[in-house]
Order: sequence, then structure tokens, then C-alpha cells
Amino acid sequence: MPTLKRDLTMEQQLARGPMDLPFLMLVLMLTVIGVIAVFSASYATAIDEGRSATYYFIRQAIFAGMGVAVMYFASKINYQNYRWMSVFVLGFALLLLVLVLVPGFHTVRSDGVRRWLRGIGPIPSFQPSEVAKLGVILYFAARMCKRDTEKKRRFDVRHPLGKILQAAENLGLLEMVPYGAILVVIFVLMYFEPHMSGMILIMVPAAAILFAGGIPMWMVGAGGALVLGALFIMLNGHSYQATRILVWQDPWAYPRDGGYQIIQSLYAIGSGGLFGLGFGQSRQKQLFLPEAENDFIFSVWCEEMGLVGGILVLILFALLILRGYWIALHARDRFGSLLVVGIITLMAVQVFLNISVVTNLLPTTGVSLPFFSYGGTALMIQLMEMGIVLGVSRQIPAPKQG
Amino acid sequence: MFSYALCVTKGEKHLRDRRHQGEQREHTKAVDRKANRTILYRTVILLVLFGVATFLPLCYKLWEIQIRDHDFYQQRAITQQTRDNAVSASRGKITDVTGKVLATSGTVYDVIISPNDFKMVQENWDKKFRDDDGNILTSAKGYYARPEVVTVANALAEILGSTPEKMQKLLEKNSKYEVAASRVEREVAEQIWQLISDMRLSNSLYTNPTTKRYYAYGSLAAQVIGWVNPNLENTGAYGMEALYESELAGQTGRVVTAKKGDGTEMKYSFQDYYDATDGNDLTLTLDATIQFYCERVLEKGVEMFDVQNGGFVIAMDPKTGSILAWANSPTYDLNSPWTVSDPVLSEYLESVKAAAGEDGTLTEEEKKKAYNTALGNMQNRQWRNKAISDSYEPGSTFKSIVLAAALEEGVVSESTTFFCPGSTIVADKRISCFGNTAHGSQTLAKAVANSCNVSFIAIGQALGAEKFYDYLEDFGFLEATNIDMQGESKLNPVPNLIWPRSLFTSANGITNLATASFGQGLQITPIQLITAFSAVVNGGHLMQPYVMSSITDGAGSVISQTQPTEVRQVISEETSARCRAILEGVVDGGSGKRAYVPGYQIGGKTGTSETLESRRGEDRAIVSFIGFAPVDDPQVVVLLAFDKPQPATPKGRLTEKGYYISGGNMAAVLAGELIEDILEYKGVEKVYTEEQRAFIDITVPNLVGQGLDVAKSALADSGFTVRTVGEGDTVTAQIPVGGAVIPSKSQVVLYLGEEKPTDQVTVPSLWGKTAAEAQAVLAQAGLYLRVGGTSRYMSANATVASQSITAGTKVERGTVIECLFSDNTMLD
Repeated sequence: MPTLKRDLTMEQQLARGPMDLPFLMLVLMLTVIGVIAVFSASYATAIDEGRSATYYFIRQAIFAGMGVAVMYFASKINYQNYRWMSVFVLGFALLLLVLVLVPGFHTVRSDGVRRWLRGIGPIPSFQPSEVAKLGVILYFAARMCKRDTEKKRRFDVRHPLGKILQAAENLGLLEMVPYGAILVVIFVLMYFEPHMSGMILIMVPAAAILFAGGIPMWMVGAGGALVLGALFIMLNGHSYQATRILVWQDPWAYPRDGGYQIIQSLYAIGSGGLFGLGFGQSRQKQLFLPEAENDFIFSVWCEEMGLVGGILVLILFALLILRGYWIALHARDRFGSLLVVGIITLMAVQVFLNISVVTNLLPTTGVSLPFFSYGGTALMIQLMEMGIVLGVSRQIPAPKQG
Repeated sequence: MFSYALCVTKGEKHLRDRRHQGEQREHTKAVDRKANRTILYRTVILLVLFGVATFLPLCYKLWEIQIRDHDFYQQRAITQQTRDNAVSASRGKITDVTGKVLATSGTVYDVIISPNDFKMVQENWDKKFRDDDGNILTSAKGYYARPEVVTVANALAEILGSTPEKMQKLLEKNSKYEVAASRVEREVAEQIWQLISDMRLSNSLYTNPTTKRYYAYGSLAAQVIGWVNPNLENTGAYGMEALYESELAGQTGRVVTAKKGDGTEMKYSFQDYYDATDGNDLTLTLDATIQFYCERVLEKGVEMFDVQNGGFVIAMDPKTGSILAWANSPTYDLNSPWTVSDPVLSEYLESVKAAAGEDGTLTEEEKKKAYNTALGNMQNRQWRNKAISDSYEPGSTFKSIVLAAALEEGVVSESTTFFCPGSTIVADKRISCFGNTAHGSQTLAKAVANSCNVSFIAIGQALGAEKFYDYLEDFGFLEATNIDMQGESKLNPVPNLIWPRSLFTSANGITNLATASFGQGLQITPIQLITAFSAVVNGGHLMQPYVMSSITDGAGSVISQTQPTEVRQVISEETSARCRAILEGVVDGGSGKRAYVPGYQIGGKTGTSETLESRRGEDRAIVSFIGFAPVDDPQVVVLLAFDKPQPATPKGRLTEKGYYISGGNMAAVLAGELIEDILEYKGVEKVYTEEQRAFIDITVPNLVGQGLDVAKSALADSGFTVRTVGEGDTVTAQIPVGGAVIPSKSQVVLYLGEEKPTDQVTVPSLWGKTAAEAQAVLAQAGLYLRVGGTSRYMSANATVASQSITAGTKVERGTVIECLFSDNTMLD
């Protein structure tokens, strides 16, 4: 005999609450539009590579279907379990980040970049940084939510070291040590891949969780200043990064050194006009635009659907993000809030960076567009993250009836 | 909102101390509330930041790219997405009046390399046939060798006859368009196509069809036809090619096709055609045959008379003003217009080169510069259509115009007589006749035939400056002829060439009137002169000369046709007829007698122009002849001139080859030959007078074995007289033998059964005898005369200068003695 409902704990009952319907609808709409966009954007490349025109589309559609299922199951999991799981996820992610640097485990590429773990058997090839993002968000959220209940440490102030430690503790610095250590380890590992955009995508949600979690404002300011300073030094010092800035300022001056894809992207978006050339009618995807089905899929979308289509997608993303933060605001507990803040911020940053790059608002960084860019594992992980958000939304207490 | 929110962990539970439970709970609640509020506020900040703020610049950016700068990006995108290929229109043909093709176009190919696309071809190959480690996958499907710069450069160099280094340099450039070779013929293009498909070089190497102009007759009518400049997209550079550019060129078409990023054509995509419209065909009034005759005599004259500045010949149909031929010297081959091939010009170029070489102070660059400057000048000289763009003082040929004016005004008539003492004084200036000859008393016709300056000064004065100037205007000397040809000054009046009326008619103009009366002191163009002269002989109609006969489209339907245009009637039909008669006298025994052609009635006027240089004491005369034929019904007018025949010694009057420098001794000789050729070509029958007949050479038929009656009538038909020896009915022998060429009217002896005498006769001396005298002497001896030499005009002045068989030699009866007659009178 199945257990009766009244035998469930309060937590279990809450976990069976309804999903947030607007958020779910937005996710499904974006997923469907994204898969359709992949179809249009990828067939020219597919044909050129000697594949069937629908090769990318079918694969993406299958992953989307699987991803939606994963999302559903993720939403059914009581997110409170993530508190204890977060340590293991983070540990696993660190393991993978080490592994990806080991010869034999990463995919071989002509440029020597080691971002992808080789697919083994049924497990497809994927980026460990995707797992790292999730691990950092889970762990930071789980740790941040209980900071207020943690007792302040006391040190022997008569000892000089103790004095310093005590001062650091009073300032709240010691509290930051685990977070900082985790980020430093991850960044060092990713530096060797190298994976600059991945670092940004880990850093910003992490910072958002710390910020929302209530770290002192001076620390937020100092952190911001630190990041800006680091960026400044990097852009001025490192010739590779400096070139990016030059290309960004005038892509036409560097048609062969990275400016090419920006130029092609601008041509694509620009020729779309108000209403676009019509679905499937993009000319820029005909081998002019590199990675038309991937990082530059939004350019093709804008070329075909015009400003109207482009703004529509932006609005859908904005609504999804707003609804995401709304869930964070209404979450049952601080862990749920911070978890959702991290996931939604991650997605928002990806959307912003990707579209900024294709419109040349920011210098080139290889960030894909959630739900749109071709890539099965990335899509599945994104949908799983959405599932986590939906899981949080299930436990939002219903408003009291009139 | 966070009313139920509890951060419940096991750890927290352990922290709870029973004693401080209440206190602790209070404290925890306060901390919770504070923490919850912080999360709330800060999440709202994040919400605004990531949900709204970041989307604003994105929306702005999209608007900027898609709406504000839409045209800019679209334009550029379309430029790279489409291939816009020009489709050359084929240029129209140029044909002569009989349909002979003078200029036509054929397809040739430019070979184009796109180095950037070549790099892309290589990259695509790498993508296809290299794995991630850079290994070449030779076993891959459809594998072929990588197109390397060196191999392609070598193959190209071999096909195009260039060096591999040069080709390699082109292939390594950073560009999308490099011309590897221009205008190669189809056979070469086919090899290129083969190379493209063998090495899979699509788009990085291709041929552009273009057209090349072929001039079938080379240099024929070069300055009239002109040429197209292949360096300026085959547009007409000179002549009719330039003047009728818009008609000949047609409209270039375009094919716009969509292409993909790798340069291949985008299938099932748009393709726009803008059809090319072929150029129209041009039919000229020129007749290639007459043109050939003109160029032949021109070339001959330049060579014969050591002419330094070249010359020109124009042949015109006086009735319509259409140009039948128009030749200039020096000339050039239209198929390679930059090549200087004229002997005089080449010699000059060589001398420049040699002089530069000898001058040790010049650097290599300066030498080259000096040579290139000279080359440019010579090229301009050979391209120049001097018969329209250069003016000259017409000299005595102009007297024909003055004559017409004077007759029309009635100030002189055929019965007027003039007395010429050899010179006259006008305004304290002595003006002499040509060669200081005193012509004595002479009629008007004689004065014209003698080209007497003194008489013409009198005629000019009789006309008066006002009337004279009226006729200058009426004959069109103060305006452009408006011929459809490049190079004519369109300024009316042409400045500084002819005096203004006010000066001409003033008291100070008296010398001008005097010199103008014999064609000096005023500058006119050759085309003006021949147009005016045509009016003098065609019944007084000043016709507008033209070269374009008709324009037809590709299908052959006529688009436009030039109708003869009469500008005005200058003199009456009757005056014109009187002029023709008087001008015939110039050729028939006058200064133009060397243009005499037995059987054709030719009229004309000679001229030996002074030039500015000759007045300064330099040796430059322009010798010319303007003539027309037949006199009764002029079908052709020719103007023939040679500029600067070189005298053998400075200030000398004879050239190295012994020709007297004058229009009558030089231009007239060749003019006669030319007019004869033209009339024969036009099918004008020769009509001989009885006198002329005596000196026409006729071949004697072989009559041996024929009946007497048959033989007699055959000889009578040819104009021979017959003497028979013997009584038979059949010819057994004849003198001279069949096949001998003897003058008509000579006596042929037929032997009827009797033996032909075999005795030898002695050749008499004929030196100094006139033709009639020589013939009489030879007939006496049983010999025959054949006439040769510079003049075919049998006047008392023409005497035997040499004979083919020396006097005293014994020869067979009936032998033909060829005598060269010469006439050494100096003729204006």
C-alpha cells in the first residue's frame, strides 16, 4: 500500500507544490524557439560539411526533449537536498577540471585549448566548467544562507597573529576565505585550459550570491574595484586581450584578425532591418558567419526575423529573468533564494554577454546563448538548472486565501 | 514575505541552549529578519540590474544596427553576398561603303587571380583533408593534392608565358583582384579553365571575357577610323571609334548572383540579369579600295620626294560631300597604335636614342625620359589627323576659289587678258610669279593655267576686299565644315588664321588682299579647301562633308543615315561650268599637265605653298594638287599634298632624286595616277580624242593564218592602219609580230604569201624630238614608238630624253623602240 499523504513531512508536502507556471512557460517557449533557430541557422553549415541539412536540428531537438525531461525530474527533487549535495558537486567539478587538463581526457583541437572532456560511451563530450558553474552556485548558496547564524570566531588577541585574525574576523574577511579559495582554485585550473569566458560565467553568479547573501557593502565595492583593476591591467598589458579591444573599437581595421566574425555578425543583424528577411532566408549563414549555429545564432535570428524578432527574444529572456528573480524573492528560505539568484544571474550574464558580443557592444568572448546555441550538453545542463529553479518555485507557500 | 522562512539546519539546532532558549530565539528572529531583508533588497537590485538594465543597451544596439545603420550594413552585406559580373556588350562593326569590315570585335579574356580567395581555397582544403593534429588525410573521400602557391604559379606562368616568380608574387598579395594577364585568346583561356578544374581553384582564379578590336586592314584610314583603348575599358580613343563611341559601344549588361561565404554560388537564390545591348554598326562613306589607292600614292610620294613632314590625301564625292578616302602620312597600324613604324618617325626616334646614348652627362633615367618624351611626340604625330586639325596656307590651289568668285561677280571673263612682267609691286612690296617667270600677255584661262600670281593680284583687286571677304565667308573658310570627324576646331571664326574683315578691307589690308588672291597669308584646313573646291566644280553647292554613311543595329535595320546637306549655293551652275573648263586647261597643258591622263578629262589646280618657315628662309614648302574628274560630270575631287620635300642642298629647288620642288612637278604627277585609278575603279570609261588615240599603246593581234578580211577588220577595230604586201587571201606574216605593243594609229604590215623582208634597219637618233616627230622618223625606218616617262601629256615641251635601243644599232624591221619623254619645265 502506498503511503498516505498525511504521512508526509511538511517539507515533502511543500516539494509537491505546483511549479511556477509563467517561468515554465517562458522556458519552454525559449527552448522551442531556440531549437527552431538552430534548424534555420545550421543547415547551411551542415550541408557544407557534407551532412544532412537537419543533422544539427535533430540532435538539438533530441537533447531539448531529454533536457525538458531532466528539467521535470530536477524540479521534483526537494532542493533542500542540494545543501549537502553541493559539496560533492563542487568536489566533482574540481576533479573534472583537473582531469580535463590531463592528456587523453580532453578533446584534441588545433588551437590547443582544453575545455572539453572527451565523450565516453553514452556520456557525450562536455565542458567541466558547466559542472563547475553549478557546483559553485550550489555551494555558495548553501554556505551563504547560514552566515547569519554562524558564531563569530574569537582569537587570542594577545598573540600578534591572533590580533590580525581577530581584526580580519571583525571585518568579515575570514568569512570570505573559503569562497575566495574555491574561486582561486577553479580560476587557476581554468587558466590552464584556458577559458576566460568560463571564469566570467563562474565569477558573476558567485558574486551575485555573495552580494545577495549580505556581505558588507564595502566588500562589494572593493570586489568591484578589484575586478575593474584586474580588467584594466589585463587589457593594457596582455597583447592578446589588447588586440580584442582594438578589434572591438574598429572591426573593419582588422578584417582578418578577429574582426571578421564581428563584421559578418553586424552585416547579418543589419541586413535584417525591421522585419527581417524571413525565416530561413538568412544569407549570412551561407558560410559567411562563422559558427552561425552556435555563438552567432542570434545574428542569424535577427537577420531573418528583424528587429521585431530580436526584441521579442530579448523580452522573453527579460521576462524569464524577472520571473526568476521573482521566484528568488518568494522562495521559502534563504537557500532557495540564493540558489535561484545564482542560476538566474548565470543565465542573465550569458544572455547579456552573448548578445553584447554579436552586436559589438563588448569585445569578443566565446559565450553561447542559452536555449539557442547549438550544443546538447549545455542545453541539458541549462534545462536542469531551470528545473532546480522550478523546484524552488514548488515550495513557495501559497498566498493565504482571502 | 519571509514569514515561514527558516534556516533550519542540524548545526543550528545544536547551538540552541535550553537556558537561553527564549533569548536566543529572539536574537535569531532579529538576525533572520535582517538577513531576509538584505536578501530581499539586494535581489531586487539584481533583478533591476540583470532583468532590466542590461537589456536596455542591447535593445538600443539592435535598434542602432537594424534600423539606424540598416542601409549601411545591408549595402555592405549585399556587396559581399553577390557577385556582380559585367556582361560586355559587343562593340559594333565599322564597315566601308561597300560593306568591307574595317573594324570588328572579338572575345578575348582577362585572367584574374583573387589571392584572398586562393587562401580560402587552401583553408577549405585544410578543413577537409587535415585532422585536428594537422595530419593529411590522403585516404579521405575525394582527396586531391593541396593547391600550393608554387605549383599554381608554375602552371600559370607556363600557360600565360610569364615567370613563376611574377605569378607567385600575385598569388601572395592581400587582395581580391589581380590581373594575371590581359586579353588572352580563347585557346589560352581554355587552358586556364582546365587548370581551374584540375586544381579546384574556383573563384580564386577565373577569366573575364572582354573584347578586343581587330582592324582587318591594319593602317588603312587609321586617323579616320581611330582605335579603342584597351586600357580604358575599350572605349574609343581616336577617330570614328571615339566620335561614335556611344553608338558603337552598346550598353554593358550585368549578372548579379548570390554567393556563399566560400565564394561558391548560392543555389536556388536570386539572380538578376540586365541584358547587354550590343553596339550599333557604323558604315562609313570611305571606300577601302579608293582609300588604298590614296595611301599608295601618298606613301609613294613621301618616298619619291624625300618628304619630311608627311602629307595627306582626301578624296571626296563633290556632289554629296561624302568622303571617299582620307589618308594621312605618317600613319600607323591600328592593331598596335603605340608602335611607331613610319620610316621617318622611326629614324627620328633612333636618332634621339643615339643622341641620348652619346651624351655622357645623362643618367639612365634621363635617357629613358628623353626617349619616352620623343616616343610620345611621335605617337601623337602618327595619330594626328592633320588634314583636319592642322591649317596651312593653300597657295595657288586657292586660285580656283578666287577664279570662281571673280567669274561669279563678273569682274573678269574668259576674254579678259592680263599682262605679266614676272612681278608686280603692291604697297612697296615686290611680288613675283613662281620661278620669276614672266608670263607676258595671257587670257584668263592661260593665267590660271600658268598659275600667274600677277594676274591673280589683279583679279583680287578687281573683286575688291569686301567682295573677296564675302566669298571667303560663303565658301566656308571662316567656319567649321562640321564634318563628323574628330579634330576640327569648332571656333567660328577660327581665330588668328584669317584676318578679320575690318583689317582685310582697310587700307592696310591691300597686301593681304594681294597675297590672299594667290592663296598665301591665310590659313585654312585641307577639309575646308576641298569642300570649297567641290562647290566650285559641282555647280556651286557648298556641301557639308561627312564620313558616317549610316548606323545600323545588329539586325541590320538602319537607325540613322546621313543625307547630303547643302550648306548654301555659293556660285551659279553656269559659273561652275566655266570654272571647270578653265581648270581643265590647267591639266591640259598648264601647270597641272603632269596630272594628265589620256582618256580622262581632268581639271585641277596645282599649288606650291610658302610657309612661315620658308619666309624665314628655311626649306619648307607644301606642294599640292587639287583636282576633279571627269570635267563634265565630276565624280571625285582629290586634294593631295606633301609637306616639306627635302631639297638636296639647302635652299635648293631640286630633291636628291632630281624632282623640282613644286605642286606641278610633284603632287600633280601622283594625282593623275590616283585619279585614273579611282575613275577606273568607279567604272568610268576612257574616251580618247583623235590626238590621244595616236599615243595609246595597243597590243597587236596575231593574224598569221587568218583571212585577209578578218585580219583587216580586226586591225581597223584597234585603230591600226593596214598595208598589205602580196596578192593572197591569207596572212602569212606580219610586222610587227603578234603580241607587240605599239601606239594605236600605227601601220601594221600584212604579208599575203610574200616573204617577210629579213633585212635589218638602223635605229635613228630620237633625242630632243617630240612624240609626233619621233613617230614619223621611226615609221620612216619601219620601226615603232612606244611612249614612257613622267608626263603623258604630249606637248611640244615633252621631248625624247632617252630611247630603249641606242641610235645606230641594227634591228629587225618592226621592232618597238621605247622612248622616255621628259618635260623639265618648272610648274607651280
